[in-house]
Parts: sequence; structure tokens; C-alpha cells
Amino acid sequence: MSIDKQLREELGQAASTMQVPPELYGRVQQSYQHYMNEKRGRSPMKKRMLVGIVAAVFLIPSAALAASYLADDIFGSSSTIEQRGATQEDYQEIEGMLQTAKGKLTKDEFKEYMNLLKQLMQLKLKITDKNGVKHEQNLTQKEQNQIEKLNSRLEFYFEKINGTAKP
Amino acid sequence: MNDKELIPWLEKAALGDESAFHLVYQATQQDVYRTIAFLVYNKQDIEDIVNEVYMRMWRSFHTYDSSRKFRYWLHGITIRQVQDWKRKAWRRIRLFERNRQMTIEQLEWTDKAVLKSEMQHELFCLVRQLSYKLRVVIILRYFHDYALEEIADILQIPVGTVKSRHHLAMKELRNRYEMTGGEMYVH
Repeated sequence: MSIDKQLREELGQAASTMQVPPELYGRVQQSYQHYMNEKRGRSPMKKRMLVGIVAAVFLIPSAALAASYLADDIFGSSSTIEQRGATQEDYQEIEGMLQTAKGKLTKDEFKEYMNLLKQLMQLKLKITDKNGVKHEQNLTQKEQNQIEKLNSRLEFYFEKINGTAKP
Repeated sequence: MNDKELIPWLEKAALGDESAFHLVYQATQQDVYRTIAFLVYNKQDIEDIVNEVYMRMWRSFHTYDSSRKFRYWLHGITIRQVQDWKRKAWRRIRLFERNRQMTIEQLEWTDKAVLKSEMQHELFCLVRQLSYKLRVVIILRYFHDYALEEIADILQIPVGTVKSRHHLAMKELRNRYEMTGGEMYVH
């Protein structure tokens, strides 16, 4: 047998014993999918970046809006009072009231007013059930005293706000 | 599946059709794997290169001239990926370790390769011991049946160089074969 022929035979036989590992398919397929995604411009990295940018775009105005909601400073969010029988309109009304107060009071006064109001609201929220019904009996003596105290201190501000509101 | 039947599937696969990809892979995997396994001996490396060959296939499909044989293009890519792999400097750091392992692997691999008798595969064992430059010519010539001109084109070297490497490889094989006691006619 010539060496040429023998080489062909032996190489052919050797080749037939070389089996492609089946797990290689998964790997090649993964590379393929990755390449195709990249080609379409939808690589996971790009996708993630895009999501990030979109999120940032949405976050900026909502952060700005949140800061302009005075009522949020007191209740956290509208859902706090909505859970207690109030509506979104009520919340807007409170917000309007607070905006008026901000315009009528000096900066320091307004700060104090907000602080007092917040304390009062926290107590009121505590005794208000989900239907908006108040249960004063749930308050301790100490808490009742606190409410009275807050009310009397707030009266000054209410008068100032309402007084100038109706000249 | 012949080349002509494969081309439309390749086009689809290159555009992202996954079932076409599956078909192309099934039709070509053995050819690609075996060609590489004749040239590179480490199993992990063979798999790495197979993966790179397919990546190259999708990336460069637009350069494929459909008037030429697909297998010829495929073998060109395969050989180039093997050469690239050999060129990568960082792999050379591991070369020493690999050479050490190769001796062991060679034995394991040869065990599997033996089909009928040891004598019948002696020549193949000798091919495996040739240097890469000589071996690649032998594989393309006697496994893929390419003419020396085509081999020169695939390897991107002058035909004269291919001829001299072919000559040298055959001379070495004959010498070693005779030394091990094999019989053959000198053509």
C-alpha cells in the first residue's frame, strides 16, 4: 500500500473515532445567541443601561414633585390618609391649605407650624380607623394632653392664616 | 447535506434564525471538530476553537463568495482560528505545562483511536508527532484532499513553501515509519 493511500485511510479512521462532545452545542449556541443579541443592539448590558437611564429620567421629575408636596412632609404620602377613608381630593385640599399657610406665614413660623401639625396628625392618624372614624378613647391621658397643647399652639397660626385670608 | 443545500440555511442562521443555526451546526460540527482535533490536542482548546470558528462564521458570512465551495471557506476559517490561537502570546505561558500534559493525552487519545490493530494506526501516530507546520499540510492534503495550491491559499503561504513542507513531512513519515518496522512502497 502506498503511503498516500495509507495516510488517507488512517486519517479517515482516526477521524471517525473523534466524537464531538454533546455539551459543546450548548456553548456554541450561547455564543450565537449572544452575538445575535449584540447585533440587534439588545445586548444584556445595553438593555440594563437603557433601563437605568429610563429609571433616572422618571426619578428626577418625581423627586422634584415629591419635594413640592407639602402634605407629604406630614403624611409621608397620600396613601397614609387614603387608608383611613380619605380620598385623593382630600389630600389635594390639605395640600392647598398648607400652600396657603406657607404664603401667609414667615419661614420660621411655617416651619414650626408644619412641625406642630405633623405631631398632631400623627396622633389623629393613630385613632382613626380605616373608615375615617375617630376613636378618642384609644388615646392615653398623656396623648390627650399633648393634643390639647398642640391645638392651642396651632390656634395662633390658624388665626394668622385665616385672619389674613379674610381681610 | 451538501454545500448547495446548506447555503440558504446559513443565510438564515447569519440573520438570527435559531433553527437554521441548529441545522448548520449539526451539518458542520464533525468536520470542524475533527479538523481542529487533528491540529490541537488539548480537549479544552479544541472546544474553545470550535466556538470561535462558529463566531467567525456568523461574523464573516457576508464575505463568503457563493460561487466557491462552502467547505473550502469553512476550512479557511477553521485553519485561521487555529493559527490565531497558536499566535496568542498569553497562551504560550501555559505552553510548557501543556507540552507536559500532551504526552499523557496523546497516549489516552491514541488508545481510543486504535480500531483494529496497533499497526494500522502507526502512521497516524507518526503524523501526530510531526511539527504543526508539517502536520497541517498533511491533514489538508490527505484528510481533506486539497491540492497543494489550495493548501497554499488556505494557509496564506506560497505554493513553493507548501511543496517543501509536504515533501519534508513525507520524508519524516517515511523515515520514522521504516524505523518502527512498518512496510510500505515508496511511490
